[in-house]
Amino acid sequence: MQPAPPLRVVHLTKRYRQRAGRDFEAVSDVSFEVAPGECFGLLGPNGAGKTTTIKCISGFYPPSEGEVFIGSHNVYFHPKLARQSLGVCDQEETLDSDFNVFDQLVWHASYFRVPVGVARERAKTLLEQFGLSEKAREPIESLSGGLKRRLQVARALMSDPHVLVLDEPTTGLDPDVRRMVWEVLAQARSRGVAILLSTHYMEEAERLCDRVAILHNGRILDIAAPARLVAKYIARDTVEEEVRPGVVWKRAPNLEDVYLKLTGSRLGVDGL
Amino acid sequence: MILPDSVWGVWCVWRRYFLIFVKSIGYYLVTTFLEPLLYLLAFGIGVGSLIGTIQTNGVRLSYRSFIFSGIIAQTLLFQGFYEGAFGAFVRMYYQRIFQAIAITPITLSEVLWGELVWDASKSTLAAEVVALIGVISGDFPPRSLLTLVPVCFLSSLLFSGMGLSAAAYSRNIDELSYPQYLLVFPMFLFCGVFYPVENLPAALQRVAWIFPLTAVNSLVRTLTVGLPFQILAVPILLGWLLVLVLLGRHSMTRRLVK
Repeated sequence: MQPAPPLRVVHLTKRYRQRAGRDFEAVSDVSFEVAPGECFGLLGPNGAGKTTTIKCISGFYPPSEGEVFIGSHNVYFHPKLARQSLGVCDQEETLDSDFNVFDQLVWHASYFRVPVGVARERAKTLLEQFGLSEKAREPIESLSGGLKRRLQVARALMSDPHVLVLDEPTTGLDPDVRRMVWEVLAQARSRGVAILLSTHYMEEAERLCDRVAILHNGRILDIAAPARLVAKYIARDTVEEEVRPGVVWKRAPNLEDVYLKLTGSRLGVDGL
Repeated sequence: MILPDSVWGVWCVWRRYFLIFVKSIGYYLVTTFLEPLLYLLAFGIGVGSLIGTIQTNGVRLSYRSFIFSGIIAQTLLFQGFYEGAFGAFVRMYYQRIFQAIAITPITLSEVLWGELVWDASKSTLAAEVVALIGVISGDFPPRSLLTLVPVCFLSSLLFSGMGLSAAAYSRNIDELSYPQYLLVFPMFLFCGVFYPVENLPAALQRVAWIFPLTAVNSLVRTLTVGLPFQILAVPILLGWLLVLVLLGRHSMTRRLVK
């Protein structure tokens, strides 16, 4: 028997009850698996169902149908066991502003029963990796948005998870800081951590993800390696794009072209 | 020591609150302990010296003793409600602490129990400080410090549940003023903190007994100044406790989990 994959989403459907009228189906029959050491991307416009999918994966929202497994544990029925090996960075800021930067990390690890000594060492290492060492004793309110974002990604790693789920981890980060986060994620992957990441940035997805799922109106349109998706949907070597009136760029097709084509927004790129 | 998983979860959340409490003890000394002391001074000494003694339920006692015990109940109401309402609203809406913890091995149910039990612990501590002053001043027997603990804890759990429900139903922090002015202040003024409810007209007395603070006042006074035990207070306290704790947990869960 094969060992269970670190993350398995099986026919996940999520409907929200609405005050008036019918239910709204935010996620429809979504299925995928993430292997150890794999980085899997969820791409889609706002409202595509990325965050809802992630809330169901973390076991915070119950699924309307389908199941989510972290390892062999169903996250909804056995949240304690399942989430022991799950690290999540939500899209919204959820830092505990009653603690300073360092204590924040150490305290978060205690929810996973990580011994304090281990947690302190881990926090030091992570703060260094994320360029936050100098801020260790600062209160959360003194951090800029970008620093808070970094800290929240670092916090998701405090329990040394097998599965790391990141909802738009690099939104609002400067390019150099984004690279810093990518570096840490690459290290996690090399340790065998399975990563699920939702992003708006096609470059990020193309660079980091072994496979991506393109999500639109709650449904997965396709799942494949970024290069395969490009080859499949954009059957040509170069695309032309008028970036300003009179200025036309010729370039190789990329994931963004696929994304725009599949999700039906064709602004700016002709003939795809 | 190995605790069952869910008890460990609640303990973990409780410990978080306790740590913050210890770290910011200066703030809590003012907000938790100074307020009841101000009431004690103003009413116990100020008004107490005007009134002398009063007769209630066949017992004659000094107004100072009467009001000291009333301020225990008032402390339970205010501390329990405010921590459950404003405290929990901030943690749920602005800090999103509930959401952050409830995606770790600790569940949302445990987070909410931790919140309620902490709120009740802190209120009980504040009420015990008032009781201690009453013991030192000779108004209460020393044993009341011990016998008060369960009544104080259950009462403040009840008021925290009321606060948590208020937080769950408020769209923004300003809306917490509704339960504050429509529920907390009327209870504070009409449920026997300042004067015996027997002094109210019969119809109003019956209304006053619907609200939990009247029952809390009655039980606290039995334990502190020896007023006769009114058995009606027990089912009222336990009934409201059950309803409000369940409502608080249910409504907050519904607000957070879609």
